Amino acid sequence: MKQKRKMTAAAKNEALWSYLFVAPTIIGLIILNFYPAINTVYQSFCKTGDFGKGNTFVGLANYQTVVSAAETWQSLWNTVKYALIEVPFGVVIALVLAVFLKNKLKGTSVFRTIFFLPMVCAPAAVAMVWRWLYNQQFGLINNIFHTKVAWISDPKIAWISVAVIGVWSIIGYNMVLFISGLQEIPGDYYEAAEIDGATGIRQFFNITVPLLSPTTFFIVQTRVIGALTIFDLMFMVMDRTNVALNKVQSVVYLFYQYTFTQGNKGYGAALVMVLVLFIMLVTVIMQACEKKFVFYN
Amino acid sequence: MKMRKLMAAGLCVMMAAGLTACGGGSKDGGSSDAGASKGEAGSGSLTINIWDANQQAGIQEICDDWTAESGTKVKVEVIDWDNYWTLLESAASGGTLADVFWMHSDYAQIYMENDILLDLTDYVKDVDLDQYYEDILAIYTRDDGKIYGLPKDHDTIALLYNKTLFDEAGVEYPTAEWTYEDMYEAAKAITENTPDDTYGYAINTSNDQDSWYNFIYAYGGNVVNTTKDDTAIDSPEGKAGMEMVRKLLTVSTPQAVVAETKTDALFLSGKAAMITQGSWMINTFYTAENAADYAWAMLPYADLNGDGKCQKEERQSCYNGLGWSAAANTSNPEAAADLIKYLCSEPAQIKQAELGVTMAGIPAISEPFAAAFDGMDVSAFDQIEAEGTLYARPGTRNSGVWNNAMKQAGGFLDAWQNPEDPAVMEQACDNVAKMIRDAIAAE
Repeated sequence: MKQKRKMTAAAKNEALWSYLFVAPTIIGLIILNFYPAINTVYQSFCKTGDFGKGNTFVGLANYQTVVSAAETWQSLWNTVKYALIEVPFGVVIALVLAVFLKNKLKGTSVFRTIFFLPMVCAPAAVAMVWRWLYNQQFGLINNIFHTKVAWISDPKIAWISVAVIGVWSIIGYNMVLFISGLQEIPGDYYEAAEIDGATGIRQFFNITVPLLSPTTFFIVQTRVIGALTIFDLMFMVMDRTNVALNKVQSVVYLFYQYTFTQGNKGYGAALVMVLVLFIMLVTVIMQACEKKFVFYN
Repeated sequence: MKMRKLMAAGLCVMMAAGLTACGGGSKDGGSSDAGASKGEAGSGSLTINIWDANQQAGIQEICDDWTAESGTKVKVEVIDWDNYWTLLESAASGGTLADVFWMHSDYAQIYMENDILLDLTDYVKDVDLDQYYEDILAIYTRDDGKIYGLPKDHDTIALLYNKTLFDEAGVEYPTAEWTYEDMYEAAKAITENTPDDTYGYAINTSNDQDSWYNFIYAYGGNVVNTTKDDTAIDSPEGKAGMEMVRKLLTVSTPQAVVAETKTDALFLSGKAAMITQGSWMINTFYTAENAADYAWAMLPYADLNGDGKCQKEERQSCYNGLGWSAAANTSNPEAAADLIKYLCSEPAQIKQAELGVTMAGIPAISEPFAAAFDGMDVSAFDQIEAEGTLYARPGTRNSGVWNNAMKQAGGFLDAWQNPEDPAVMEQACDNVAKMIRDAIAAE
């Protein structure tokens, strides 16, 4: 039989203090995260009134409209397509850069800084600069290559153009994480491999990649979630009358349109709940993959 | 040991204080300064929100005149149009609205119904309300007769053209006798006789009011009827108007280009010979580098009866006017109402026109605005009031819903994208009519 042990005065005192110490964080989380999250779930079942007044419960009506709307699935597919470009390219390019920049070469810190710079810039500023690069009539890209490509208003390529900005912005962040992961790998392995005659490329695939897999998994998981909740790029780069908007807008963009532009908060909440469920599903699948692909020392 | 505990407790308190301070700070952030300086009787200050940066300097100057009289300071803050309504809505929900701000016909009704705005009825008893444009005052008057805003200005639409490009293509300048067919012929000739990236006309389809709305009305259709319960976009008249838009689009800057570079930028860089613009935009072109090349003409008309002359109802310009409103929960309602009354008074309206900010909300004041732009003839904006018909900007209780939807895929976007095919435009008219009716039914 398990008996509940009585706490000593010292233990009680300690517990009290620990609660006190975590209190600010917990209170912050409850007010800023948990309460809005619960409220969103509630609102998704409501026809919300103007200015947050007079919500009426409508059950699953919002969900029915969300699920039966073609634009919901189109935007979810757009979001997935974005993630399919941003995550793999963002990870692979960052990994290659990290391997090159790990070593103490001349100018390493300069290059590290350059690659990390996009991370420091405000996303809005980044988007505005890219918007001008992409501009069909006066943009730098079309002017240099003497092309007339509608980078961000041709539905066939606009989603790629937007994802390219995403990759560009995230490489630096991923790279820094990879560099710290690389520094964890003991040098002995490489020395041993070198004595055995392994080439640099074999070392990379047989030592670096498996030993770095926990870092890689962490990056992939956080970036997948980040990419699925993308909003700012589409919002800043594309105008509302952009022809390609329907083929590019993400779920969160659609959520913004309904919730804030049209003031239909119930519908927006239902839309965002669908996204949450989808992200949960993806996360569960990824967690299952973790056991198979990730190598813990 | 005790010392350390004390320090820990102290830190906790500081953290908690910091947290609440943050919370409080964000709540107060958007609110007026009036609350803070309430103690100083008589003085204090008011915050104004507007969305047009072009008007900020002029509005501030007029407000400073009022400050000189009342002793209450006024701070004018600009939030661009795209974010204005998002921020205003959240500020209204959180009770942190600015004291005085611009209201627009698209949103006025929903704000009035929810008692977000200050009821000005009692404050404006001594104001001659008949002096204002009737339609504009009506926008800011609730069904029960209470007044929630006074007309700030009014605006009409005119055709802006680039004389150099007309000369280059050997086309005659627009005249007051132009029909939309003439406009099409001119646009076609310019598109064909100038470099590939230069077009005769560029239409900013996202700005309905200064572009395609006027076609629909000139051809006898409407977007929303006067009783605000139906649309005539899918009527033969409405479709005829949109058909003309389609025809013009075939010789205009492609919409894929316009979506990335706005029509005013295309015009200013000499890539478009004609655009249609509202009177609130004059200053942009007046102060431009090549202003000497630019001239204004009245909007063309639709010669429906084929008599070769323009009847009043054949030439239509949308007109709209902003309203000055105050927040219902402002800490200084007397000052706010007094400021609004001042801004909408005759002297302030004359000054607003003289400064070239916008045309007045009072019909009697039309001279100073035309005179504000030395060297540029802007009489086309006034002329259409006399020789054409003005219709109020069409709106329903929650116009934003259909107004956004009709410009996207499934609405007119398909037809704008593919202007060669008249069937697509006809289908789009039917689709949009359904959108508007559905939206009205849901209101």
